[in-house]
Parts: sequence; C-alpha cells; structure tokens
Amino acid sequence: MTNARLSRRELVRLAGAGGALLLLAACGGGAAPSAAPPSSAPASKPPAPATSGSARASAKSAASAAASASAKPAGSAAASAASAGDAQLYEAAKKEGKVVWWTAYYAQSAADAAAAAFKAKYPGVEIEYIRQTAQVVYQRLTQDLKANVKELDVFSSTDFSHYPTLKKQGVLMPYKPAGVSVLPKDLQQLDADDAFQLGSLGFVVINYNTNKVKDPPKKWTDLLDSRWKDQVTLGHPGFSGFVGNWVVAMVQKYQWDYFQKLAKNNPKIGRSINDTVADEVSGEREVGAGPDNLSLEEKSKGNPIDIMFPEDEAVLIVSPVAIMKDAPHPNAAKLFENFLYSTEYSQAMVKTFNFPLNPAVKPANGKGLNDIKYTRVSPEAQEKGIPEAIQKWREIFNV
Amino acid sequence: MAAVTARAEPRPGLARRFEASILLWAAAAGVLGFLVLVPLAWLFYASLQARGTGELTVANYVEVFSRRIYLQPIVSSLELALAVALIAMVVGAVIAWLVARSDMPGRGLMRSLILGAFTTPPFLGAVAWIFLAAPNSGWLNKAWVAMTGAPRGPISIFSFGGAIFVMAIYSVPYTFTFVSGALELMSSEIEDAAASLGAGAWRTTFQVTLPLAMPAVVSGFIMSFLEALALFGVPAFLLIPARQPVVTTQLYLFFQNPLRVELAAAYAMPLLLVTMAFLYLQRRLIGRKRFTTITGKGGLKRLVKLGRWRWPALGLCLLLPLLSIALPYGALLATSLSRAWGKGPVPGNLTLYWYQWALFVNKPTQVAISHSLWYSAAAATIAMIVAVLVAYVVQRKLLPAAEVLGFVAMAPFVVPGIVLAIGFFSAYAHPPILLYGTAGILIAAFATRFLPIAYSNASSIIRAVNPELENAARTLGCGRLGSLWEVTLPLLKRGILAGWLLVFIPALRELSSAVFLFTPRTTVMTTVIFDLSDAGNYEAVSTLGIVMMLFTFTVVVVAYRVFGRDFTVQRQAA
Repeated sequence: MTNARLSRRELVRLAGAGGALLLLAACGGGAAPSAAPPSSAPASKPPAPATSGSARASAKSAASAAASASAKPAGSAAASAASAGDAQLYEAAKKEGKVVWWTAYYAQSAADAAAAAFKAKYPGVEIEYIRQTAQVVYQRLTQDLKANVKELDVFSSTDFSHYPTLKKQGVLMPYKPAGVSVLPKDLQQLDADDAFQLGSLGFVVINYNTNKVKDPPKKWTDLLDSRWKDQVTLGHPGFSGFVGNWVVAMVQKYQWDYFQKLAKNNPKIGRSINDTVADEVSGEREVGAGPDNLSLEEKSKGNPIDIMFPEDEAVLIVSPVAIMKDAPHPNAAKLFENFLYSTEYSQAMVKTFNFPLNPAVKPANGKGLNDIKYTRVSPEAQEKGIPEAIQKWREIFNV
Repeated sequence: MAAVTARAEPRPGLARRFEASILLWAAAAGVLGFLVLVPLAWLFYASLQARGTGELTVANYVEVFSRRIYLQPIVSSLELALAVALIAMVVGAVIAWLVARSDMPGRGLMRSLILGAFTTPPFLGAVAWIFLAAPNSGWLNKAWVAMTGAPRGPISIFSFGGAIFVMAIYSVPYTFTFVSGALELMSSEIEDAAASLGAGAWRTTFQVTLPLAMPAVVSGFIMSFLEALALFGVPAFLLIPARQPVVTTQLYLFFQNPLRVELAAAYAMPLLLVTMAFLYLQRRLIGRKRFTTITGKGGLKRLVKLGRWRWPALGLCLLLPLLSIALPYGALLATSLSRAWGKGPVPGNLTLYWYQWALFVNKPTQVAISHSLWYSAAAATIAMIVAVLVAYVVQRKLLPAAEVLGFVAMAPFVVPGIVLAIGFFSAYAHPPILLYGTAGILIAAFATRFLPIAYSNASSIIRAVNPELENAARTLGCGRLGSLWEVTLPLLKRGILAGWLLVFIPALRELSSAVFLFTPRTTVMTTVIFDLSDAGNYEAVSTLGIVMMLFTFTVVVVAYRVFGRDFTVQRQAA
C-alpha cells in the first residue's frame, strides 16, 4: 500500500542523506585548501592575489625562517652578479607573495619539477601555475585581455607567433634579465625591444621503436624509403606547434615534394607530436618525427624507444617567455624569468629530459647545442608558413 | 441541486485570479534565458565579426560554407551521428524492453552494468579500445595473429566503423534509460486489453507496448544523434588517424593556430538548424497522439514470461557490457598496473606505483575528483529544476508561446561543447555577471549543456501524466502550484531521479566544454585525464580512468539505492 504523504517526507530526509553522502565523498576525495566550495564561488571575484597570497606566504614564512633566504652560491661571475640583483627582486617578490605562470612548454611533470625548483630556491614566494597546450593558454589570455582581467604574470607559449601579436597589442613588459647572458649569442635577444626572451628549447628529431628497428633512419629523407611503408607516425600541424614548425622546416629544405612522397608511405597522423611517442612505445608504428624530451623520458621508464638526431638537421623549437605589462606580481615575475636561466632550473629540466637553457648543465643524452646539427625556422617564416602548411597538409593527407 | 448552487462561490475578481505560480513560471523562463540565450547570442555576434577588426560581416559564413574541405566534415558528422543513433536506439530499446517488462534473469545486474557504461567518458573508452584493437599493436589483433597465424589482425579501430562502434556502445545507456523509464510506468492493463482481444505476446509488444513508448524511443534517438554530433574526444582519437575529419575536430582546428574564433562560430550556427529540423520531426511524429499511461485509475505492471528464451536473452544482453565495460576496463587495468606500458602487463613490469601516485601523492588528482562530483551534482540539480518547471509550463501551456521555451531548452545540445564554452566565456567573463575563474561558470556550462536531456526526460514523463489528476486536485481547492507539488511530482519521482542522473553522469564525463572554462582552482577529472593523454602518459591515464570510474560509480549506486528503495516496491492491485 502506498502512502504518498509519508514518502514525500522520507524523500526530503533521503535527499539530506544523499547530500551528506556526496559531501563525505567530496571531503574523502581530499579537498586541498585551495579548492574553493562552489557556494562561495559567486561571491569571490577573479583571484584577489594579496589576500590569498599573503595568507599562504605567512604560513610558509614560519617554515622558511629556519632556511636561509638567499640563493645557493653559484660559481661563475654571471651567476653572482645575477644573485646580487636577485636579492633585491627576491625581497620585493616576497612582499608580493606569489607568481602566476601559464606554460605550454613541456609535460605536467616537468612543469611540476620547475615549480618545485623555484620554490626550493626562493622560499616565501608561492607559484601558481597551469600547464596546458599553447592554444588553450593563449585563448585564455586573449579572453582575459578582452575582459580586462589581470591575473597572469608570466606567459610561456610554444607558439612563437603569439608573442609579436601580444607585443603589438602593447600588453608585454620589456625586461632583460641578467641571466640571459649565459645563452648562446644568437638566442640572447629574440626581440629587439626585449618584449620577450628565450623560455624553452626543444628538438624535433627522428624517434623509433627499439624492439623492431635495429637500423634507424639517419636522415629525414630516409623516412621516404619504401622500407617504412605503413610504419611512419606523425603529428598534425594544425594541432601542434612543434609539428607545424617541422613541416615548415621540411618545406624549406625539400619543398612540398617531400610530403607528396611521404604520403605514399601511408603515415599515421595523430594530433600532438607526443602521439608519435605513444605509437612507437606501443609498437603500432616503428619510426616518426617526434619530440626529444618525451621520447627520452619514456626511454628512461624502460619503454622500447630511442631518438636519433638527423644528419640533415634536427629542427630546433625556440619558445619565448614574456611578462605581462599589467602583471599583478611584477617583481615575482621578473624573479621567475631570471630563474629560467639558473642552474637549478636547468637541472630540473634535465631530470625531466628537457633541454637545459644554462650551458653549465649537461643535457640528458650528453649532446649540447654545439654538438647537434640543427636548423631553426625564423618567426616570420613560421607566421606565414604554418597556416599555409595546414592548408596544403589538408590537401595531401585529407585531414 | 439547490444545495450545490447555494454553496457555489461568486466568481473571484481579477486580482484573486492571478496565480502566484505565474511568477515561478516566469522565473524559470528567465533562468532558461540566462543559461541558453545569452551565450548563444554572443556566439551569433561573434560569427558576424570580421577577424581582428570586429566589424560586422557575413564573410565568415561565405568562407566556411563554400569550401569542400569544410563541407565534407559536416556530411561525415551527419552520417556518423545517424549510424550511432540508429544502433543505440535499436539496441537500447530491445534491452530496455527485456529489462523493464520481461522476466529475464539478471535484470538488476543489467541495470548496474548499463549505469557503469554510462559513467564512462567515451574518449576513455576510445583510448581503451585503441589498446585492444589498434591494427598492429591491439591486443585482440595480436591474440588473433598468435592463434591463427594470419599476418595481421582483422580489426582496426582507426576507422569510421570503429568510431561508430565506440560511440554507440556508450550511447546505448541514453536510449535505454529513456525507453525503460517509459516502460516502467506503463501498467499492464493495456496489454491485457490487447490479449483479451486475441493478440499474442509478440503482436502486443510491437503493436501496443512499443508504440506507446514511441516518445521515449524517439527522444532517445534524438539525444544519441545530437550527442554523437557534438562529441570531440572520440573523433580526435580515432577519426584523425582514419583521415576522416568531422565537425568537432574541424572546430577544434579553428581554435588552434591560427586562431579563427569567428569561423568556428559561423561553422556552428547551422547546427542549430539541425536541432530545429529534428524537433519539428519529433512533433510531427508524436504530436497529436495520446501517450498518457498514468491515469486516475490504478494499475499493475506484470512481466512478460519469456519461457525458454530467458537465459539466451540474458546472454544477448550481456554482450553489450562485455564490449563497453569488461574489455575496455580490463585493458585500462592492465595498463595501469604496468610501470612501462609499452612492455605490456608481464611479470617484472607490474606495479601499484601509479595507484599510489594518483590517490596519495598527486594532490591535483584528489582536488579534481572532488570538484567533478560537486560541479556535476550542482549542475544536475539546477538543470532538473529548470527542466521540470519549463516542461510543465510547455505541456500545460501556462505561458503564451510556451512552445518557444521548449525550443530554447533544446537548443544547447546541438552546439558542440567547445563552442558553447566559448559563448559562455564571452558572455560571463565581464561585469555585470562575472563568473569566470569560479566554479559557477563550469556549473552553468554543464547545466546548459545537458539541459536538453533533462528537458526531454522531464517532458516525456510529464506527458505521461494525464492532466485529469491535477484537475481533480484543483477542483478540491489546490492551486496550480500545489497540485504540481502534491500530485504530479510524487508520481514522477523515479523519472526525476533518472533525469537527475542523466545530467549528473554526462556532466562527470564532460570534456569539451570543461577544457576552455577551467582554471587551476577549478580543475575536473576529465581535463586532468585528457592532459595526461596528450602528454603520452598512458599509465597515468588508465589509472585515473579506473579511479574515477570507481569513485563515481560508487556515488551513483549509493544515490540510486537511497532514492530507489521507495520505488522498487510494486504497487499491488487492491
């Protein structure tokens, strides 16, 4: 027999029980202090840096009181000059409390390592960061700019073309960190007005499955050999800045003929350049044009993959870094940009198989910039070449 | 007679005839506008803006619809969606009938398994099926090669058929829920009437039962179709290697380098025409026929006896969970237990490291899990409240031009998640309503994204309730609102719960809109998983996929048990 009145009261009680269960589940999920409950969300405006930053900074300062505040002693003159200027910046940064950094340079693990190294070197300055693909962070930044939301301090994209555009809009702060002098001469001044500097280096190389391939291709043109039919894997220039760069470089060397011939080998086309690594690790395909950093990281895990720097030049991907003109924490931002040229950062990079910026630190596989034959696509060539490349790619590969 | 006349009250004046409930209907319509119309309006505005300058122009539409490379994906998308919807509709309806109206054994088990499939994000299923059925490295193919000595395995998941397959197996839960919801509420007396006129069991099913469930079947088809049109993850993983671009992958390309938001907005607009066409079709098919099955007279649901077909039927039904749960999660489990997934799940490579990492070491994961649960629950609640109110207004025609509200409620689903997210962002990233950076914008986006399902569900269950019940209450003095609360809603409890889950679960597995709206403080599970897959870390992807599924499935089962206990008791004939 049904009793509508009773079951409705029970319904309300059960709703409460269900809500409590959800609450338990949410709390059991281990909500970190930074997770704001949805009910309070509408009340808060986009991040109020002062309040939250200082709250965390004061919590941290108790712990860091024991540790000495200054940077680790560095050997070279450049480093000690940098650390002198550093100390001033550091004090100012501590007052600001944190730096907000958006990066597309590398995988999440490398971003985590970079952030940890920064916190270790500069206790008292928090770092809030997102790792996302270049287009996503750029899209978010453009929307922020349109909405006049000022939350970002340091912008690290792998798409070079973002920076001249932002510079033209007048939203970048010109800044030349002292540490830039450790870099090779041709990479010291990416922009005549110092609106942006070098932030990251990576290579597109030939990667291959070590179980199936005993005699890997040594040149890009070797990939055209019919021996590799149905065994090549590539990313897509529309989805990946690295692949776009690589395509433009190949077209500069060998014209579109290269890709007409490559199409005959029926390559598997993914999205990110990292898809080549997944394909080779699983054995789905045997060779491809892939990123040095992820390939080496997978190799270190024990996966059957390795890289080959091609004789007809690996493609060097230069990614800039810039500070926003209206950054809410300008001193912390400058401190962070300086940090990118330090040995601590480069060590964190090498541990995660990324290319170190500081020449004092040896890369993971031992080959420094001077030992590698590489080519670099100029920003102008990228800006014009990549959209064109995507169209032609579409015509050749239908996707 | 005289006594009745004497008791009749004078007709109340205009002020008293104004029902307070009108305010509620107006408020519901207002919220609907906020959730749906504002972002879509911004989207439309964006589609008319010239690149960079912002001045108004139709050049975007011209560019996007005059080139073969942009028209071809539209055709592919429509073919894909049609195939997926047809398969999901047929399979879903068959299983729904077997579970809701026959005496097949293991009906409860089937329900749980279908719920499990529903909890799975389709792109996670796609990743798992790549492990299983990639042409060279897929485990099923390798097993085939080992057993038969053939040079290659027979299946390639990187194909149009592969994408249809993966989308369909995760779309069946939609159609199943819609159809079984309708079949549950049907009392057997209609079938008894058919039997008493001489119809056999099969004839009754095809000529009486299923046609009565027609609105649910058609709604399920439409939902599957529109979801298949809007999915991004599965085409990204399976159709790009298959060299078959579709609308969502093309839209994503418009947001890559070079960024062409205005082209994306223009490209998305005509999809709204598709919704209109489908809604019109739905109206023509079921518009004027009567589908009420809950009436003022009592009824009993009796199960159809299958006889010796009981166990074969179960075997047939279990095929679906085998393909959508057992095999894929087995693959994910195996990968999650590997230290280096390229070496396979062999001794020496087995480890619990990734589970340790996900559950105890990696704080961002824990935060993302709790966010996912909270935001989805909030979105489902908002969506259901708005949907029930709006569906009620539409079905009972309480406001002028009520049907327009119905169309507005359905509009968001055909706009791909990515594009809706951009519309949301453009609309709510500045005063007067500043939601960006908070959980609010994600919740609002999820609620809007799945409002059509909630509305469709609410609409079909309200349609099943004959107005005579509420009218009876009103003649006894209850207001319109009172009769809704005291009479209609209790009858619809189970349907409303089903609708809530129909929004909660897809919100949990939603990726395409979350990717553009989240910030470090508001990450969710799907964005974390997708990021890791983009970085090639498939061990972590598999581990997080399994953790997420266990968590959400537990929550859902608990909620279902707690709410469902009332309703598993069948009403017995007096």
